[in-house]
Amino acid sequence: MSKIILNNVCKSWGKIEVLSNINFECKNGELLVLLGPSGCGKSTTLRLIAGLETPTSGTVVIGDTDVSNLPPVKRNISMVFQNYALFPHLNVEENIIFGLKARKVPKKEQQKRLKDAAALLGLTEFMDRKPAQLSGGQRQRIALGRAIVAQVSVCLMDEPLSNLDAKLRQEMRQEIRSLQQRLKMTMIYVTHDQVEAMTIADKIILMKDGGIEQHGTPEDLYNRPATVFTGNFIGNPPMNILVPDDLIGEGCPSYSIPEAGCSLGIRPENIEISGDTGLEVSVLAIEYLGADSLIVCKAKEQSITLTVTGKTNIIVGDRLRLNWQQEHIHLFNSENGLRIEDLDGDKT
Amino acid sequence: MDFKETGIGTIIETLGAWMLGVLWLLPVVFAFWSAFHPAEFSTRFELFAPLTLDNFVRAWSYAPFPRYLLNTFILVTLILAAQFVLCTLAAYGFARFEFFGKNVVFALVLLQLMIMPEVLLVENYRTISNLGLLDTIPAIGLPYMASAFGIFLLRQNFKTIPRELVEAAQVEGVSAVGILWKVYVPLSRSTYIAYGLVSVSYHWNNFLWPLVVTSSVNSRPLTVGLAIFGAPESGVDWSIITAATVMTMAPLLVAFILFQRQFVQSFMHSGIK
Repeated sequence: MSKIILNNVCKSWGKIEVLSNINFECKNGELLVLLGPSGCGKSTTLRLIAGLETPTSGTVVIGDTDVSNLPPVKRNISMVFQNYALFPHLNVEENIIFGLKARKVPKKEQQKRLKDAAALLGLTEFMDRKPAQLSGGQRQRIALGRAIVAQVSVCLMDEPLSNLDAKLRQEMRQEIRSLQQRLKMTMIYVTHDQVEAMTIADKIILMKDGGIEQHGTPEDLYNRPATVFTGNFIGNPPMNILVPDDLIGEGCPSYSIPEAGCSLGIRPENIEISGDTGLEVSVLAIEYLGADSLIVCKAKEQSITLTVTGKTNIIVGDRLRLNWQQEHIHLFNSENGLRIEDLDGDKT
Repeated sequence: MDFKETGIGTIIETLGAWMLGVLWLLPVVFAFWSAFHPAEFSTRFELFAPLTLDNFVRAWSYAPFPRYLLNTFILVTLILAAQFVLCTLAAYGFARFEFFGKNVVFALVLLQLMIMPEVLLVENYRTISNLGLLDTIPAIGLPYMASAFGIFLLRQNFKTIPRELVEAAQVEGVSAVGILWKVYVPLSRSTYIAYGLVSVSYHWNNFLWPLVVTSSVNSRPLTVGLAIFGAPESGVDWSIITAATVMTMAPLLVAFILFQRQFVQSFMHSGIK
């Protein structure tokens, strides 16, 4: 069993608290993504789990052992770093078995694991090249190889794809996902890219300012954002957050305004252009993306973005009426940003 | 690149470079000329003057040059080995660990950089004398072994090594000493080469301190031997003196020509220019 549990973990650098009361559990064989903007504490959390930092208070449990004060090597983990951490003076083979040598694994076993990992990652023909002679994707594979040969059940990844170009990133994230499932690894994966998080994760933890904003499946985060921040962060383009009080009388759908003092969240893909009813807006800008187009509109002083499929005939300056369904709206308390549930009973 | 800049600036720069080069080369050329020709040609230039190795044979037999050469060789090897060990360990401490008073200690090390070794001549002599090491090879090397320059250079280089590499090694369970040996040292190879070159050439050519602290053939390095050999009271024979000089500098010169490319590259890498 290799579940990972964090209990009330706090971390401070001097007087600055970077993590406060982090609690979560990552189940055996699960791929958990730590997501958040830079500086939110996600990498620090990962480093605490790895043992590269020690928590100021709280405990880290891996498997059934409290590892809070153990050095990294005693935690039975492998780690993949953002810049791959390959040794430039060693060739591919030496890089992959670096850890096995350090752990004094018998030579024969080293070679066997090396062969398996190389075949799995398609690195067999590059064994005696130096990292500098390889492409970004290949270097990434070496780093993965090093994590695989360790044959431990917990793998920690610190923004492993952020140095790759968009196409390669997509390929590699599929590869990482299938590898994780084939080898049944428990994986914690740090990223700031919400698309990466959504596509790869079993569970996502969204972090902000050293705390957990929401912990759930990708669908949970998309369909039922717990805060305005989550709503804004997940989804591309981000969710529109409106202050409905100002829009009364502009034709805003009436179910959008259940009570005063709340914010209304509505995703761009859920907004429809209707003929005669709905919120009246004027078009500010249009961005053509290929498969669909973004239309940025303005209602009073508030900006609203919506997406339409394909190319659109609408031009800047047009006046439109926008409508949306009740099931697509999200309501948030405008003071603390928390989600308001159960409006009039039938909201799920 | 295949384009050339033109203009008065470039011409002046080129001229200046050539003049400095020629100026620097002249004594070397003279030494070679005089060493390979009979004595009567040492101050006279004649293109087809007869070549001879006689000067070398005489210089070799007049003074115990093999012994001097061996002394110098032992000296620079000893110093370099000790410097590598001491500076590596000290630099590692400064680059990677936090300890009480670290900055003060490092400032003291830097302070050593600002003091010319000649200033400490008398004090060093007293120390060596108290240690009972006068007129030995270790006595020549001892004051230079904990080199501030080496510590500083290696520390700066160690600090540029990405933290990720160290952490990757930590995760794999490599000890602190193992990390020094398997990560820091191999990644600093070019700095070691560059520093080694500086150290060897400095101590090969060092004169004043060895002159003060040695008094017999058993410990004298080449430079001191050469100076005694060329002292005016033994009569000035330029041919023999230059032959001896050529013998003194030949090993370094040959080494530099052979490894020229590596040297230049390692200097570029390590950032000493």
